[in-house]
Amino acid sequence: MPVTHHPDPSAERAHIRGQEIAFRRAGSGPTLVFLSTVALSGRWLPIYGQLAEHFEVIVPDLPGFGLSPQGESMRDIDDLVFTLAEFLDELGVGKFDLVGHSFGGWVAAEFAAFYPDRIGALVLITPMGVRVQGEAVADLFRQDAQGRLNLMLNGNTDLLVDESDEEPLERLLQDFHDLTGFGRFAWNPRYDIRLDVRLGRVKNRALIIGADDDRVVPASHAARFAELLPNSQQLTIHGTTAPTGHAVHVQEPAVVAAAIDNFVGGHYA
Amino acid sequence: MPELEFYSIVDRSYRWFTPAQNRESIGIDLPNSEYDPDLGQQVLEEVAQGAQRAERLGFDGLLIFEQHNTPLALFPNALTGAAWLSAKTTGIKIVAGGPILNAYSSPVRLAEEIALVDTVSNGRLTVALPLGIGAQYHGYGAMNPVHARAKFREGVELLHKIWAEDGPFAWEGEHYHHPYVNVWPRQRQDPHPEVFITAAGSRETIELAAKYDATYQAILTPMPILTKNTQLFRDLREEYGHKPDRKKIAAVISIHTAETDEIARAEVEKHALWGLQNVLRFPFNQSFPPGHVSQASLRGMMSGGYRSSDPSLATWEQITEGYSYIAGSPETVIRKLTELTDAIGAGRVICSSDFTLPMWLQEKAQTIFANDVIPAFRAPDGLAVWQREKPVGYTTATERAGRKPHYAGTPTVGVNGEYVPLLPQ
Repeated sequence: MPVTHHPDPSAERAHIRGQEIAFRRAGSGPTLVFLSTVALSGRWLPIYGQLAEHFEVIVPDLPGFGLSPQGESMRDIDDLVFTLAEFLDELGVGKFDLVGHSFGGWVAAEFAAFYPDRIGALVLITPMGVRVQGEAVADLFRQDAQGRLNLMLNGNTDLLVDESDEEPLERLLQDFHDLTGFGRFAWNPRYDIRLDVRLGRVKNRALIIGADDDRVVPASHAARFAELLPNSQQLTIHGTTAPTGHAVHVQEPAVVAAAIDNFVGGHYA
Repeated sequence: MPELEFYSIVDRSYRWFTPAQNRESIGIDLPNSEYDPDLGQQVLEEVAQGAQRAERLGFDGLLIFEQHNTPLALFPNALTGAAWLSAKTTGIKIVAGGPILNAYSSPVRLAEEIALVDTVSNGRLTVALPLGIGAQYHGYGAMNPVHARAKFREGVELLHKIWAEDGPFAWEGEHYHHPYVNVWPRQRQDPHPEVFITAAGSRETIELAAKYDATYQAILTPMPILTKNTQLFRDLREEYGHKPDRKKIAAVISIHTAETDEIARAEVEKHALWGLQNVLRFPFNQSFPPGHVSQASLRGMMSGGYRSSDPSLATWEQITEGYSYIAGSPETVIRKLTELTDAIGAGRVICSSDFTLPMWLQEKAQTIFANDVIPAFRAPDGLAVWQREKPVGYTTATERAGRKPHYAGTPTVGVNGEYVPLLPQ
């Protein structure tokens, strides 16, 4: 199968009944949709390129994240799921595998609950979204941009080389934009209690990837996802040079890409 | 000399907590295990004394702010506080500064509380409606700042409809949904208690104040932006068909008056710095939780020099170089007040006195202010606004009878199959 590898594809735009969605895509093969989160949206991470060696990888900026405008009329995460479904219709995507990291994992889990038949495998990387009492996720709303990255990468922020030449004010406004998108769905509550019931609908094979030392989402959340998803397994990715943190796929892209490829590989082709 | 109304902020801080020093803020999660009930009672008693003093000295009004999760001031519900202070005073206007509309499950609940306090205070209530500062959205938690402005606008609209129209009516809004809006009791003042709308500078809020003929309560803004905003407010008022009225702009200022400028500084400098270093200290992410302002407003504020430096590091010289903190002799205070209110066209001044000043020192400073500053901005009779205006409600039984109240019905009771009057006719 021919592989087209775009190291840093530029963003395309789709329009879903007034909602613009920016997305990037690369590679060919079975479609894999990757949902990201605050601080990591609007950019092409190395893992996407690695996945694009085996898949057609589509990475949308969720409404209110990255280059996608706010979903002004959206009230809760269900609205996000429906818009995402329409976005994939617009792109003509049939069945696909779905990967989500952190908040993107939450959206992926909800999507799977609404549309279990549309997806093949579900991969959740250090996902948030379930309630684990007494084990709250870190309050990312009380960090500045650098603080958020520090928490996500356990201080190893040099892993993300920022080559943009944006003015500090523009960066601050972009960060505020992303945080507003995040806050629209995750300010309060910071989980969806309905997932306790909804996830029982998801009979798809599911992989929940955890990290050595996740300072954003406690490890108990991955265990809770595993408990709620009937056909799931857990995998902890260990760091090669340092313990992995919340953005494990930024820290160990090749290892996480291989784990996804191994798990997903052609199971519904 | 412009004529001005003066409102005294009577809040006091709970100050016996571990000093903030290296904490980024105490506005969200300072443990309430640091609160002592006896000391808290003392703080609130000081507030009552301050309220009675404001009345005795001849201020036009007093004001308290609603706060959550913080020792800054101890009124988590401004209207409960206003009800209490209305019983501690007799004539002074009472501004419930900041029922945070979004902290209520519905504006209908707020309308109920407003009507109750307006009635028991005999029509002395003014409500100041702030959106709520960023830290309160973090601390109180239940309000999503992303939806805050839309909900606030709808809430203000519903509140005014409740005041303007008879119930029951249905409210089918974007954020609020009520089959039967039908508030009992109704407000005492006609058409409704005066409204202040607090604005740090967003155009949306300034327009809301203009639309509803509310007083624009201007805070936390550098002078060049403030003069621009107040001009915008006047222009918008004109567009909405309201007459020019300086009373519709209120400046919020810290004021400390003493015999001389030097004495004023010596008395108050440490208290001013304490406030900035402790209870008024908020990092960017607490001042601006997600969506709390629009991108355009944030761009404007950040480009306009807002918070170009950390306010908690400010020196006395920086604090007093503009008009947001005026300290000095009566002559100095009169001069600066005149300059400020002329520059922004304000007809009201909301005066803050540091929330930690010893009560005796506050008494001294405010007595000098009342004797030597306020009269410069008043009619020669020296009367406060509430001394010139007749109370809205009646004050004697004969006055009530003379008003010929509207009886929609008289109570009857069914006895042996027949309805008879409950009371002898």
